[in-house]
Amino acid sequence: MGNSSDFQQGKEKWEADVEKASQRFPERKKQFVTSSDIEIDALYTPSQEETHSYEKDLGFPGQYPYTRGIQPTMYRSRYWTMRQYAGFGSASETNKRFRYLLGQGQTGLSVAFDLPTQIGYDSDDQMAEGEVGKVGVAIDSLKDMEVLFDQIPLNEVSTSMTINAPASILLAMYIAVGEKQGVKAEELTGTIQNDILKEYIARGTYIYPPKPSMRLITDIFAYCQENLPKFNTISISGYHIREAGSTAVQEVAFTIANGIAYVDAAIEAGLKVDQFAPRLAFFFNAHNQFFEEAAKYRAARRIWAKIMKEHYQAEDPKSWKMRFHTQTGGSTLTAQQPDNNIVRVTLQALAAVMGGTQSLHTNSKDEALALPTEDSARIALRTQQIIAQESGVADTIDPLAGSYYVEALTDKIEEQVNEYLTRISEMGGAVQAVEEGYMQREIHQTAYDAQKRIESKEDIIVGLNEYKVDEEINPDLLRVDEKLEENQINRTQQVRVTRDQQKVDKCLELLRKAANTNDNVMPHIVESVKAYATVGEIANVLRAEFGEYTAM
Amino acid sequence: MMKPIRVLIAKPGLDGHDRGALIIAQALRDHGMEVIYTGLRQSPVQIARAAVQEDVDVVGLSSLSGAHKSLFPKVVEALADEQAADIPVIGGGVIPAEDIPYLEEKGVAKIFTSGAPTDAIAVYIKQLMNHDTIEPPKKIAHIGIAVESLEMALPFYQNTLGLSLEAVEEVSSEKVRVAFFPIGDTKIELLEPTSDDSPIHQFISKKGEGIHHIALEVDDISHRLQQYIDEGVALIHNEPKEGAHQSQIAFLHPKAAKGVMYELCQPNQED
Repeated sequence: MGNSSDFQQGKEKWEADVEKASQRFPERKKQFVTSSDIEIDALYTPSQEETHSYEKDLGFPGQYPYTRGIQPTMYRSRYWTMRQYAGFGSASETNKRFRYLLGQGQTGLSVAFDLPTQIGYDSDDQMAEGEVGKVGVAIDSLKDMEVLFDQIPLNEVSTSMTINAPASILLAMYIAVGEKQGVKAEELTGTIQNDILKEYIARGTYIYPPKPSMRLITDIFAYCQENLPKFNTISISGYHIREAGSTAVQEVAFTIANGIAYVDAAIEAGLKVDQFAPRLAFFFNAHNQFFEEAAKYRAARRIWAKIMKEHYQAEDPKSWKMRFHTQTGGSTLTAQQPDNNIVRVTLQALAAVMGGTQSLHTNSKDEALALPTEDSARIALRTQQIIAQESGVADTIDPLAGSYYVEALTDKIEEQVNEYLTRISEMGGAVQAVEEGYMQREIHQTAYDAQKRIESKEDIIVGLNEYKVDEEINPDLLRVDEKLEENQINRTQQVRVTRDQQKVDKCLELLRKAANTNDNVMPHIVESVKAYATVGEIANVLRAEFGEYTAM
Repeated sequence: MMKPIRVLIAKPGLDGHDRGALIIAQALRDHGMEVIYTGLRQSPVQIARAAVQEDVDVVGLSSLSGAHKSLFPKVVEALADEQAADIPVIGGGVIPAEDIPYLEEKGVAKIFTSGAPTDAIAVYIKQLMNHDTIEPPKKIAHIGIAVESLEMALPFYQNTLGLSLEAVEEVSSEKVRVAFFPIGDTKIELLEPTSDDSPIHQFISKKGEGIHHIALEVDDISHRLQQYIDEGVALIHNEPKEGAHQSQIAFLHPKAAKGVMYELCQPNQED
């Protein structure tokens, strides 16, 4: 640490200089804080007390507690997976977009489903009216799934599916499509989101009440451990919690609290922690505050590793590693001057790379207005490719480590997350906290305060509350064909009349029985989808057995 | 005390994003409105029924899933089916500008797109509600003219113009002595400062003698002031105060009206 009296002298001189200078040039704000209300000092310096141990707090890449990354080589061997979330309209349209993205150098698929699919309604259900194919692709039966992956060999791509309440149904369809292509289940790679707790907290596509929903999740864990050992069984998601308005600290805290709840549920269902924990994946947001975001990922890895090793006594190092996907923050994009969003996305993507993400989705500039056009989706992918190939930031591992500021922020985030975790644990865990609306209230209060700060111009959003211009309000947007709903309904009704109805009824009856006992429902769902039972029909069987959740 | 405005905030369709809906619900509550939030996944018919049952004054819809073109007009229709076509429907969310004319044509009163401040939405709703109840001012109650001395000014009005002096009165709250000359359906009001810290003294020393303000007769001064406050109109008085003849008065700031100072004036009922 050099000569400590030199340090002291230098620091005192600097403080005196600041005192003098700030009389003429006062600081821009009374107090500087991060999104999580962590106070930011003017300057960070080497700590004068030896509170830190490099080996204990940081360690080496690929080594516990993984602060510096989960792999020994990180991006020096392979870049992160560039995985753009896509899907709209019909299965055949989405299939075209997938093949376009793969042709452009994308390395993994990520499926966006429409809301009826996500909530377990067929396209011809009354509840689906107006929503078919709008925010993602409409999938009713295996027929649609076959079209979706037409000419895409499932043993060569990894596929991430944003599906939660009906995750078991869509996973079953993926297995069935693989089988038709001659790909064995154990070869399949990818991720299902399957994170129901954050649906109650922030995203809203729940179907059943928490308890049976948790059981469906542990059924999937058990089934995949035996049959799809390379598939990520859950993507525990902070993304939507952040989009709903949380701070960075709340994002990590509530995500990890949910993660703990899944681990507890699986252990309670009789699984051994090292059997399922290596297949748990995470999903985080990337917002604009660069250093806080980068520090957030580092802190999250360290917290999870400690919990898995120390609390759950997991022995397999794979159980300690937090692998995560990142998506840039949709709610940070503005409908005003949408080109500026390219710059926001670049900053956010860079923070995710600095934080050691395993895969990344970069948003398109027009997403505050509609689904992305092909042009804007390409720019979003190019943004990642430029960061990877041209900036040089991927050429050394965890380059921000050792920054006095970043390490201080990493510690502070860890500390505040742990405070939340203690509070949630005292409430009886995440399921209980969700049922009581605790996280929902915390997030809403933060979101409301942020809105007020924007309206009072305490926070400046370029182009929104400052630097405004009169602009052309009709850029080229992607429109989903209004005829699509009708076509999709026809296709599904066609499936219903051509399939073996007796077989469908039998499969659904077996599923109903399994749902009523402790039997794993997964094999029955796989059989049902192979018989062309629809998403809605399967979900309805479970609705009848499990009931439906209504928010307070 | 006015009855608070009641608002139903609703999420039609399957969209689960309710950050915006919740923020607007709270912002409208902070503006003194009573807000009922339906929660997620409401059908147009459910929304219309809730609007009628809850006896709301306005329905606000939020959708981010792209289903607005089909669902918003259905809510308008469902309200009509419930004999509640008079309840206006407003909407917001991720809504491309080019869809707005279509939605308005289908009976949606107003669309607020991404970036609209919550205050603007609150003010719009208040205006929507006040539309029929606030009437334009009745007439020009008087024109106020600042003078150094009533005695020096009186001869012009009495002799040259031939107006008759109605009354001379001291308004201690404003530190002025005033003289009224009725003319047609209105009056000329001469104002003389009674002390150096009188607003009239300050006016004269800055601008000289001359027209000081125009007073408009109203019969809803408190209500109107509240509306102006909500709309952010610059005011000198946020609440009515007593003026001449026990009338209730309040001044608007000249920057609200291109340099002209207006006074709202509500005469004493027993006059």
